[in-house]
Amino acid sequence: RCTDLDWISRVRVNHQAVLKRAQYIQSLKVSKKQWQAAWLLKAVTCIDLTTLAGDDTPSNVHRLCLKAIQPVRLDLLKNMDMHDKGITTAAVCVYPSRVADAVRSLKAAHSDLPVASVATGFPAGQTPLETRLQEVRLAVRDGAAEIDVVINRTLALSGQWEAMYRELHQFREACGDAHMKTILATGELGTFTNIYKASIVSMMAGSDFIKTSTGKEPVNATYPVAIVMARAIRDYYLSTGYKVLDPIILTCKIIIPVCVCVCVCVGVS
Amino acid sequence: MAGCAAKTVYEIFQSMEYGPTAAPSAATAQAWLEHHSRSLGLFIDGAFVSPAGRRSCPLTDPKGSVVCSIVCSEDEDVSRCSSSAVSGYKSWSSLTCSQRSRVLLRLVSVLGLHGQCVSELCDLCGAACSPTALVRLLQFYSSWAQLRDALLCDWTPVGVVVVVTSDDSSLYSLMLKVLPALAMGNSVIAVPGRSAAPPALLLAQLLAAGGLPAGALNVLTGSDVTLGAKVAQDPNASFVTYSGNQQDGAALCKATAGMGLPVSVSLCIGPVCPFIIFESADMDSAVDEVVQAAFKKRKEVHWVLCVQESVSESVTARLKLRIAGLKCVSLRSDADRVLVDAAVEEAQQQGATLVQSCPPPPGSQYPPTLLCGAAPSSPFVVSPPPGPLLPVVTFRSNAEAVVMGNHSPHGHAASIWTEDLTLALETAHSLSVGSVWVNSSSVVDPCLPVSGHKDSGTCTDGGQEGLYQFLRPSGSTPLPRSAPGLMDYTRFGTEPSQAFIPESSEPGSSPQSYLQFVGGKACKSVSGCTMAVRAPGGSAVLALCPDGGRKDVRDAVEAAVKVQPGWKKKSPSARAQSLYSLAKGLEAKRLELAASLVSQTGVSLDEAGQEVDLSITRLSVWAAYCDKMQGGSLPMPQSGTALAIPEALGVVGIILPDKRPLLSMVTLLGAAIATGNAVIMVPSQKHPLPALAFIQVLQSSDLPAGVVNIITGSPDQLTVALANHSVIKAIWYWGSAQGRQYLQHTCASPVKSLRLFHQDQEGNDGGPDWTRSQPSLLQDLWRNAVQWKSVWIPSA
Repeated sequence: RCTDLDWISRVRVNHQAVLKRAQYIQSLKVSKKQWQAAWLLKAVTCIDLTTLAGDDTPSNVHRLCLKAIQPVRLDLLKNMDMHDKGITTAAVCVYPSRVADAVRSLKAAHSDLPVASVATGFPAGQTPLETRLQEVRLAVRDGAAEIDVVINRTLALSGQWEAMYRELHQFREACGDAHMKTILATGELGTFTNIYKASIVSMMAGSDFIKTSTGKEPVNATYPVAIVMARAIRDYYLSTGYKVLDPIILTCKIIIPVCVCVCVCVGVS
Repeated sequence: MAGCAAKTVYEIFQSMEYGPTAAPSAATAQAWLEHHSRSLGLFIDGAFVSPAGRRSCPLTDPKGSVVCSIVCSEDEDVSRCSSSAVSGYKSWSSLTCSQRSRVLLRLVSVLGLHGQCVSELCDLCGAACSPTALVRLLQFYSSWAQLRDALLCDWTPVGVVVVVTSDDSSLYSLMLKVLPALAMGNSVIAVPGRSAAPPALLLAQLLAAGGLPAGALNVLTGSDVTLGAKVAQDPNASFVTYSGNQQDGAALCKATAGMGLPVSVSLCIGPVCPFIIFESADMDSAVDEVVQAAFKKRKEVHWVLCVQESVSESVTARLKLRIAGLKCVSLRSDADRVLVDAAVEEAQQQGATLVQSCPPPPGSQYPPTLLCGAAPSSPFVVSPPPGPLLPVVTFRSNAEAVVMGNHSPHGHAASIWTEDLTLALETAHSLSVGSVWVNSSSVVDPCLPVSGHKDSGTCTDGGQEGLYQFLRPSGSTPLPRSAPGLMDYTRFGTEPSQAFIPESSEPGSSPQSYLQFVGGKACKSVSGCTMAVRAPGGSAVLALCPDGGRKDVRDAVEAAVKVQPGWKKKSPSARAQSLYSLAKGLEAKRLELAASLVSQTGVSLDEAGQEVDLSITRLSVWAAYCDKMQGGSLPMPQSGTALAIPEALGVVGIILPDKRPLLSMVTLLGAAIATGNAVIMVPSQKHPLPALAFIQVLQSSDLPAGVVNIITGSPDQLTVALANHSVIKAIWYWGSAQGRQYLQHTCASPVKSLRLFHQDQEGNDGGPDWTRSQPSLLQDLWRNAVQWKSVWIPSA
């Protein structure tokens, strides 16, 4: 993939223009009736149903897995004739120690829903690289099909994009066949320009998805941030030809009220 | 619709398509229209009037169904309306400032109640205007109404103001003129274009309900812009201001020529505006903004996208992606479709590549279209058709961007995109447009002065600067009203001037021969002819002066254009020093100048000395003004920095008055050059000697050659030459009614800003009393010598 660091230095984002654009998008009218239902269902299928708490036990992870398989009440789905269309969330997301529990629960329920695991010192990422890599490997070994890595904010904020690229690249290798989803923790990156650069670097390093935030920072997913990331995705697509699913912004538009942690879907074909 | 409703959730889930947008409700507006039986009358003397037997003209919505019908006013209605406006002026102007302010503020709360009705009606009629924008206008101008006497002392309202807008104008541009006129204490006759007529009538009703005295705001409706001229012809009107497209504006100017009525125009509909993206821009934001601005359904300006070559590929790639997802835009009519098709075909023949989301369907729908590889001279760039077309041109350097931005004859607005503040400000200063939006576009607010540069108009709306068109200095006399005479515009000023025949044969007594002043050199006229200057009251030949003509004017303009940009760029204090040195030079030649005044006008030596002294003081006053005539930062409601910058007009032509020949000349000269203009002055035919004697002062000064030019000759002939020179942006004129009519008629297109003063055969004029140095008089002069530019730099 492309590793042009010149590109990073050329990135410019105008703060007020992004805010204005966000305001405009929010002012657009939402389609009603079956369109609203269809879009909301689409949003549901993009969600990583998540529990990331200190008091997680196999029992609540089990409940979560069943909820992920049947996220919307069956009678509602029947009404819309969607009960047999496989409406589940995109994945179940847990801490590495709970991966084995989740895999077990899903297998028991005969579901092939992927289990996602946060890793690399989630949420702060302030642990040695060695342990972060080990975390990824262990989660993959336990059966996680997706790994949510957090970027090293120290490197991003001090402008060491090449170092960040190398770290993410190592994560990518550690993931093996699992998808790598990179969490940018946008609330801690300071500027939109940093968010844009972090998005591009993450994609260069081979991320399959980029996500706004861990859900643990004071500010999480917002419209302007979603716009900046969606633009970075478009930019990356234009420069490298990696295909991006297009309805990004409007997906976010509905997802944001629904879940804290936005998954900006970047399907790489 | 039935097909849409049948779409299942699963189909939409797979295609992720957008649903149909619900048509906005218009129940309140419809109910109001029903209340008026769908035929709206006129609003005169605080009430609706429906005169019998008038032609009515149907108003249709974009889908073609009739919304309501409006009355076509006739002469009787116009005279009724004008007498209502006169009585309205009496009662409205006799209120105190705070009373007027309160009336305007009251409408804010009235709009709170009826804002829904206003916005629905605007949407129905296709003159979109949001209630929040109206509320902001009202709040801004009610505070100006409150502070008129405190901050604009020594100014009086002009009287009955006629506000005319063209059919395609929005309600906002109408109110941007109506409200400041009211705030300054004038009464208004609004002549809205078709689409803005119903909401204007509704607003007039709401204002009257809010306590506006009957007659202060009247609304007349008609089928076209000739109604504006009809209203202007009424003897009670004192000022006409127009906003809208260029054609109707020129027609109105021509129709009102010779009525003795000042007319100002803002040609804000349909100009070509550059949208400049530098390589240092946030390209994604710029692309989103240009897509939003250029492919709107009702766009008031035509954007031309100028992209720096180094990023043109990535900008076009982004545009292509964005355009692919856009729906077709409906054109106003099938006639527009023909124009669009012709323009697109022409563009393709010239090698432009087309980017469209889909092939154009037949009918009045057209897809957003990029025309890549256009040149600034391409016909579809110069006079673009209405429709969702966006020509894209590329530039290499920052300087080239400015050249391309200034290429069109219009000077309405520009949008520039760069993260480099220095580049943004430099570009903003070099573009000759009235509004510059940095990293944004189409931002309007009443505190931003909107002023058309070049061919985009002659007046400033909005801001404090926009108030002065509705005021005149206290004590000044307005232009006397006159009936336009039948005149042959092609023959004006073609009479040959009286040839000078040698009379006496005495060798020693041949009169002194003077030279004119062109491009910093004293010279004869190009034709070599001279004419005689006669002594006061007598027939004795006092001196000879050159008989200048068109060629002299052309030479002078050439010299002026060369030097003016440099003169304008000089720091205000450097200009002040030049003016001080001019004053000093005048002091040194005090006796010569006084003598020339004595021999020319026949005043006593004492009086002449006084005039010279006053002139010296006046030049010093202008020198002092140089760095005091400033704009400033404006209080925008959003965060960011807004600047109002006064800029020189360029080259100003002045036909000087007979009275006080030296003092009036230095006063006008000072006003023009202190603000950075170059001038071409035509001394009065009767009293040219002081001006010609002043040439030696100019020669000894350090003014750059060409900033001041003096050409003598037949004023009519020179007026024609000035009026027809496209470079001259403004003409200040003292002279006959015929000359004024000629100027108003000729300077309608391309438009020049005119300051006309009456002066009869005896030299009595209606101009200012030159000996007084009332601050408002001087302010009036320098405000007429500048055009405003607003720069908006938003920040988060």
